[in-house]
Amino acid sequence: MTQHLLNPAGLLLVVALLAAPTAALAGLRRPSWAGIVGASMAGLAFGLAAWGWRAGGDRIDVAWAPTWDLRLSFALDGLAVLYALLATGIGALVLIYASRYVPLHLEHQHRPHTDEIRFHAFLLLFMGGMVGLVMAQDLVLIFVFWDLTAIASYYLIGFDRHEAEARASALMAMLVTGISAVCLLIGAMLLYADYGTFALPELFARAESSPSVTTAGALMAIAALAKSAQAPLHFWLPRAMAAPTPVSAYLHSAAMVAAGVFLLSRLYPLLARSDLLLDGLLTIGFLSMAVGGILALTREELKQVLAYSTISQYGYVVVMLGLGGTYGTAGAAFYVVAHALAKSALFLTAGAVTEATGEKRLAALGGLWRRMPLLAAASGAAAAGLAALPLTVGFFKDELFFVAALKRGPVFAALALVGAALSLAYVGRFWIGIFLGRSRAEAQPIPTALVAPVVVLGVLVIAGGIVVEPVTDLAASAGAVTYGSPTPIHPAYHLDARPENLLAVGAWALGAFLLVARPIWVGVALAVARLGERIGPARGYRLLLGGLNRFSDRIHAIEVRDLRSRVATVLVPAAVLVGAGVLVTPTRDQFLVGGVRGADLPLLLVLLLTAIAGVATCVPRDHLSMALVLSSVGYCLAVVYAFSGAPDVALVAVLIETIFALLFLGVLALLPRQVLRYESFRAVGTRRGLRDAFVATITGGFAFVVVWGVLSRPSPQQSVIVEQADLTPAAHGKDIVTVILADFRGLDTMGEITVIAIALVGLAGLLQRGRLR
Amino acid sequence: MTTILTQTIARLLLPPTFMVAVAVMVKGYADTGDGFSAGVIAGLGVLLQYVAFGYRVAERLITIRTAARSLVAGLTLALLVSFVPLLRGDPILTHAPAPNAHVIHLGSLELITAVLFDVGVFLIVFGFAVGAIGMVARAIDRSAP
Repeated sequence: MTQHLLNPAGLLLVVALLAAPTAALAGLRRPSWAGIVGASMAGLAFGLAAWGWRAGGDRIDVAWAPTWDLRLSFALDGLAVLYALLATGIGALVLIYASRYVPLHLEHQHRPHTDEIRFHAFLLLFMGGMVGLVMAQDLVLIFVFWDLTAIASYYLIGFDRHEAEARASALMAMLVTGISAVCLLIGAMLLYADYGTFALPELFARAESSPSVTTAGALMAIAALAKSAQAPLHFWLPRAMAAPTPVSAYLHSAAMVAAGVFLLSRLYPLLARSDLLLDGLLTIGFLSMAVGGILALTREELKQVLAYSTISQYGYVVVMLGLGGTYGTAGAAFYVVAHALAKSALFLTAGAVTEATGEKRLAALGGLWRRMPLLAAASGAAAAGLAALPLTVGFFKDELFFVAALKRGPVFAALALVGAALSLAYVGRFWIGIFLGRSRAEAQPIPTALVAPVVVLGVLVIAGGIVVEPVTDLAASAGAVTYGSPTPIHPAYHLDARPENLLAVGAWALGAFLLVARPIWVGVALAVARLGERIGPARGYRLLLGGLNRFSDRIHAIEVRDLRSRVATVLVPAAVLVGAGVLVTPTRDQFLVGGVRGADLPLLLVLLLTAIAGVATCVPRDHLSMALVLSSVGYCLAVVYAFSGAPDVALVAVLIETIFALLFLGVLALLPRQVLRYESFRAVGTRRGLRDAFVATITGGFAFVVVWGVLSRPSPQQSVIVEQADLTPAAHGKDIVTVILADFRGLDTMGEITVIAIALVGLAGLLQRGRLR
Repeated sequence: MTTILTQTIARLLLPPTFMVAVAVMVKGYADTGDGFSAGVIAGLGVLLQYVAFGYRVAERLITIRTAARSLVAGLTLALLVSFVPLLRGDPILTHAPAPNAHVIHLGSLELITAVLFDVGVFLIVFGFAVGAIGMVARAIDRSAP
């Protein structure tokens, strides 16, 4: 265990987290530097991750808040290496692409090119969040980085912030993944309650299969599945296509959505304690494969096709994790790599094609291979990879998938076959629709930086299909972390009639049939899509959000109607809560009536005066008199404090009352005369008057009851006061109030004076329109 | 209100008001009063000038900008006193010298960091009072025909 940061793991973490601020600073000097510097930082982080992998992984464990049992504990294990390599490597390529794409994008929209800095900074923040997430060995850290990625994604999806659609999509992604993230926190808390630790290695070692572990696992799985856009929480992902294309590419392949299946892989040892959970994963995975696959076949917009395909492809990964075992766990890791390479390439292709032609829809595109042969070839390799054709790394992902499914049974193998066929059909439709057939759109030449990353990714997809060992090693070491014991997998080309080969051939045949026979099934698929829109979860989300909005609007409308209602919205809930508290606690012998001695007479008189002044404020008359009567209540109370042996409080009360009375008069002078006159002499309806009286009575009544109850007994706080009085001389003081304010409870004072400072800024905003001069 | 008599008294009262304020603050640890009260007393002294002379004359005495500076200075001072102990590994707001250790006396005033904290409170409250008064007075002055 290493305590310092000078090892691959520490350096990777530092570089990844510093990337965003570094790029932003560089961008401040010149906006175009942000992308270059950011890509270099991502490349550096990629190098460090690769070094860490070669060095056999490493860990950091530093105390963070020891009294709360929180440690900064990170490990660069096999699983972390795999996802860190993806996040940084694809991150670097996406940044290179974005450094050309984003300026063009901003130009189209007539926005200042300084917005580019924001883009790169948030993308790198995303990357830093991912790297931190995959290395974290502690549930609290996982939660922190989990939400960091959600925040970064919010700003990236809503990058075109002048468009209402982009803002709504960003909000939807934020709400779905952010609210489900709370499930992760609750799950972590449940585990902490049982085992007293957030550290994952300890939890894995000690957790047994119990109902509470199952509940915690289910909650955490919900968070992961929502992030991975699995049905029925998948609807945010297609909406998130409002983001600029590089964001989508990154989100779908190496970040956000990948974070979900990463979390499932990381927590697999806990999830595997319960067969119920694994079966649940299987169900949701197959459901997502079906929903995503069928809907992908019906979409027309390029990025929508890819979005639904992502839902379906991560469905595969979830299914593999649900199947478990050697092939399931290592296969899931392998699948993530193959999918990330191919999917990011296809997204970047979609962006480049739209940039060249200005078209977003499949129907408007076609025959582009003549104009952009290199892009066609590179993205063809990526598409072949996703469709699991031989000589691509994707072939092996399906081989592993079939092996895992066959181990469970023939039904699962059949479902796997249908899923694979669907993916071949929609990927084929995407690529053929763009590049083959009749030319329908004019294409402008596009910059090299928009093609080069696709070429790199396409080459990697092919290279992985020829020399598969590096990917296998990576996936096997990641699978070993997930499974808890070594997971040797041996994907290879076998030219014989073994079951997985037959399944692959069957999938190709079925996929090709689906491609050709589109007119036969397209009506059914469209009907399914429409049904989903009618009764799907997206509708539930809209209804829920709309209902909450209307509820809050109604409350707000009541609150802001006039000053009386505003006061009532504060007082009534307070009175109801306090009253409920009083009613449910036993009150026998809690309310004492003390005697009156001769020495109390002055105090009684002052209290009487206070009461009279209090009643007098309720008598309607002009505002000036009311303000003066109100301040006389304050002065009377100051005298009460003085009689009760609290000279410090009395002094402050007198001073505050003076300054506030004068400020009150000053503000009254600011109000127009006719408003004051109208407010003073407007007839208040009987119903309103009764309501106000009722609110005032119950609030005052319960406040009275509570104060009476508190004064009736010596509170446990008394001992604290005695102790503080004893300590005062040791704190070099003679006046206990000042010592409490400046020393014993100094932090409270610090908070309060900060509030004073903020209040002045607020006042300046109200009176000076923001200028403090 | 703006008679010669009130103006003369207001001007004459200003130095004693500040003196009382400072006294209330530095004697806070030994007697009634603290930085908060002191800040309000000093603020009231300034308020008296506004009442007697009106916004335009009183504003020459102390500007809102000065009040804001006082507030920022006070907040900085209080934050420093609160958080510098962290650098030494102590909890927030650990005052020096330590309990029962030797302290330099200046009359009844004992020189400890808690007094500095109280000075910060004084500056903030004074800044708030003067800033709020000044801004309201200016708004009245503007809205007057």
